[in-house]
Amino acid sequence: MADKNLLQIHGKFVDYTVENANSHMSFLELLDLLNEQLIKKGEEPVEFDNDCREGICGSCSMVINGIPHGPTKESATCQLHMRHYNDGDTIIVEPFRAKGFPIIKDLVVDRSAFDRIIQAGGYNSVNVGSAPDANSILIPKDKADMAFDFAACIGCGACVAACPNSSASLFTAAKISQLSLLPQGHPERYRRVIRMVEQMEKEGFGDCSNHGECEAVCPKGISIDAISIMRREYFKAMLKNV
Amino acid sequence: MSKLMNYLTSSIGRKYLTGITGIGLVLFTIVHLLGNLNLFIGQDSFNLYTYKLESLGPLLEVAEIGLAICFLLHAIVGVSVYLNKKKARPIDYYVYNSAGGNSKQNFSSKSMMVTGSIILIFLVIHVATFKFGPSIEQGYVTNINGVDMRDLYRLVVEKFKQLPIVIVYTIVMILLGTHLRHGFWSAFQSLGLLNKKYRPFVYTLGILVAVMLSIGFLILPIWVYFFVEMGA
Amino acid sequence: MNLDSKIPSGRLQDKWDNYKNNIKLVNPNNKRKHAIIVVGTGLAGASASASLAELGYNVKTFTILDSPRRAHSIAAQGGINAAKNYPNDGDSIWRLFYDTIKGGDYRSREANVYRLAQISSNIIDHCVAQGVPFAREYGGLLDNRSFGGAQLSRTFYARGQTGQQLLLGAYSSLMRQVELKKVTLFNRREMLDLIVIDGKARGILTRNLVTGELERHVGDAVLLCTGGYGNVFYLSTNAKNSNATAAWRCHKKGALFANPCYTQIHPTCIPVSGDYQSKLTLMSESLRNDGRVWVPKKPNDKRHPNEIPEDERDYYLERKYPSFGNLVPRDIASRNAKQVCDEGRGVGDTGLAVYLDFADAIKRLGKDVIKARYGNLFDMYERITGENPYEVPMRIYPAVHYTMGGLWVDYELMSTIPGLFVLGEANFSDHGANRLGASALMQGLADGYFIIPYTLGNYIASNTFNKVDTNSDEFKISEENIRREVKKLLSIKGKKTVLDFHRELGHIMWDYVGMSRNKQGLEKAIKDIQSLKEEFWNNVYVPGDDNNLNKYLEFAGRVADFIELGELMAKRCFT
Repeated sequence: MADKNLLQIHGKFVDYTVENANSHMSFLELLDLLNEQLIKKGEEPVEFDNDCREGICGSCSMVINGIPHGPTKESATCQLHMRHYNDGDTIIVEPFRAKGFPIIKDLVVDRSAFDRIIQAGGYNSVNVGSAPDANSILIPKDKADMAFDFAACIGCGACVAACPNSSASLFTAAKISQLSLLPQGHPERYRRVIRMVEQMEKEGFGDCSNHGECEAVCPKGISIDAISIMRREYFKAMLKNV
Repeated sequence: MSKLMNYLTSSIGRKYLTGITGIGLVLFTIVHLLGNLNLFIGQDSFNLYTYKLESLGPLLEVAEIGLAICFLLHAIVGVSVYLNKKKARPIDYYVYNSAGGNSKQNFSSKSMMVTGSIILIFLVIHVATFKFGPSIEQGYVTNINGVDMRDLYRLVVEKFKQLPIVIVYTIVMILLGTHLRHGFWSAFQSLGLLNKKYRPFVYTLGILVAVMLSIGFLILPIWVYFFVEMGA
Repeated sequence: MNLDSKIPSGRLQDKWDNYKNNIKLVNPNNKRKHAIIVVGTGLAGASASASLAELGYNVKTFTILDSPRRAHSIAAQGGINAAKNYPNDGDSIWRLFYDTIKGGDYRSREANVYRLAQISSNIIDHCVAQGVPFAREYGGLLDNRSFGGAQLSRTFYARGQTGQQLLLGAYSSLMRQVELKKVTLFNRREMLDLIVIDGKARGILTRNLVTGELERHVGDAVLLCTGGYGNVFYLSTNAKNSNATAAWRCHKKGALFANPCYTQIHPTCIPVSGDYQSKLTLMSESLRNDGRVWVPKKPNDKRHPNEIPEDERDYYLERKYPSFGNLVPRDIASRNAKQVCDEGRGVGDTGLAVYLDFADAIKRLGKDVIKARYGNLFDMYERITGENPYEVPMRIYPAVHYTMGGLWVDYELMSTIPGLFVLGEANFSDHGANRLGASALMQGLADGYFIIPYTLGNYIASNTFNKVDTNSDEFKISEENIRREVKKLLSIKGKKTVLDFHRELGHIMWDYVGMSRNKQGLEKAIKDIQSLKEEFWNNVYVPGDDNNLNKYLEFAGRVADFIELGELMAKRCFT
């Protein structure tokens, strides 16, 4: 059966019709197919970032019919399959849009702002070779599990893309929360939150207005609890430093 | 001090400010509503209440200044968030949809700027109409237990006998409810007080507070318009 | 060529200590005078960059992706082994060493593997200090599990995302060094050539994938941390950008390849569903604990699986290996699946799959128990295939997963080109002919955190480095060659796309250089690959230009290299 999908890609928007699409395909495979068809027609293919295609690398950066990563819950674009669409559907595809994520080409955006936010403090300053025995630090299971929930962030940027304000709060808060829940992260906790928040602002992301859209589109379902924790950490840091 | 200012004007600091002022304003609104209930009891009750309030003197002034600061801060931060939002996404999406699920995005959360602005304008008129409205000298006077005091009851009834005012007032009160629908729980979230356990409760409480306050306020003009005899 | 693996003297247990005690050291003040190039930011590359920068070297780190955090180490699920013996079940460095050697069919280098086992415990300590949220017990201690058929619980894990957590740990250390200005990070760069000057690796040529610019980088040593080459099969569990180009171009500059044909093929992957398929997804092997593998007895039986009666099913693993049943080792499970499919008894639309049936297990244990054990895997399967594995048997097929082969390195992880070090999956030394579960993460991090800081120092301290600048002839010639190749690729304007060629190469590799190989098949493969190469350079169509982002131009260069590597793999299967 030949599904037919109309695809619009914003720059300008261009209408493409994909012939012979198949309902088992993943969304990225549909784009592969489109590109193969374009190349064979002598047209330029559509650029999009992708890598692992199993929902963990965080490369996917497109908005599908107005929702980053498309309609399925807790999944990245690469895990979206065409069986969620009907023959003849028009699908509108756009890149993530935010000042902090300048567009490079087509659906490819520059997310190095996230790297710089991590660079500002998303680490424990430990050099190789000096760590104590791993079991010398006891961490309650619930704390470790919670830290993991926040650590699961894949850095895709869907939270920014979905946020009506283009805020990077969930991304920044997830890392701050992870490290603040673990005793290893405590020596630097106040410096970390101040610096990461500052960097987040410098990158041109907007403010958080608690729309919670970030949590809804997060491929890892990271809760806005992280943002609460970040605000508490920031408050403590403020009291410490003033 | 400048350090504190830096913290408070950061993206997170401003959330603290909106949240704290927001909670303050909700508390004030609740007290205001309770005060208004005197209207249902009768002319004397209401006028006595406003008289007592005004006779607080400097205490009232301090409260009013505090309240004004709350309103102003809340509005300024709100506007700055809105302006940042425009800057942070220079080109908008062609299609934008909410993913639903755990999203707290709704009509209320998206219209905070609009509802907030309207409420602010309303507030100016409201204060001008009542606080700085016709005084004893202009004949709005009543005597209770031998004391002359402003007859605010009469003023209220006169206003709410005018259909356009009733309609506008009602709409604004619905918008106030809309503002609080997102604003209430959001204030607690902004202060970092919520987590998975408490959020659903405060979120639901927010709906309750919004509806109660909205109805509480808008029932008054309707009651006056339909059921209160002019010049009673 | 005389290959000297430079294994230190002494007992196996003492070699690493002996080595460390006798190497030359670089004065702390001198370290900053040396620029070190690290290519790749997976576990090996990120950890090496961070640890060398911590020591004071000036590190230049390159990643082909937009961020170092996306390297494919991130997809590793299972865990990381370490001889901590926390569970008190008798583990030791010796046992971890022995299991790894045995698992690798005794083809790995013993001195390297012993060192790996020695270091394993330090890795866990370091990662915990970084804030990696490993699984814990209620008392707050680290939890261990048994993995990949090991008789001991020595695997540390972070749910099914251990690779991700370890990589993010290494990435955070790397970013800290970027902040401290000890690492200069170059993202969206592809290494296209190694620059060898006076017999030593002294630089690389990269393409800026956004601007298309060719860039020259000088260093006193080059660390290749570019992962494996499983994508030579087109379909594998590797990421789309995983490629062999950097390693292959080093090979062309004189770095020898070792065991190129040692490929690990994982038996439980979601099968290919059509030509459009771009990659394969691994499902945990634990599924075979309760699932029963079968195919119809008759070839080309197109009936729905639930309509095929019990006596017309062939539970071939249980039939052929009654004592192991469905839990036969990976390679046997994989090979048998291919065999039954070759007999025409494969299932599904493509005929390239076998059933993994949970009906009996559900009958025996109840749906709830199965759900508790495999719920997330079943969900993943349903998401990808659209079929409900509680009702219809799963379809599985083997897929290329890891390449044990790679560039030859000595005990110091240095290739046959002085100054070119190879770390992680890109080298060949630690896994022999078969890698054990949960040991890839261990090796990548051991190489980067704990081995290269010593061995690189020894190299730097033992050599003198003349000043090299980017205008030297070697850089010029290299750039001209690359420019010519790119121009050629863009000018062919043939009839077939890059993916057409890659797919074709994949078919040849999978059919003849995959799980079961024979003389005729390999000879055919070599011939087919050679003519594919000929056709590629005459009939490929690469769209676009070389002055901006052009994924298909990137792919074209990589596929050209895969074709050559494929030929080498086929040829090496004979020896």
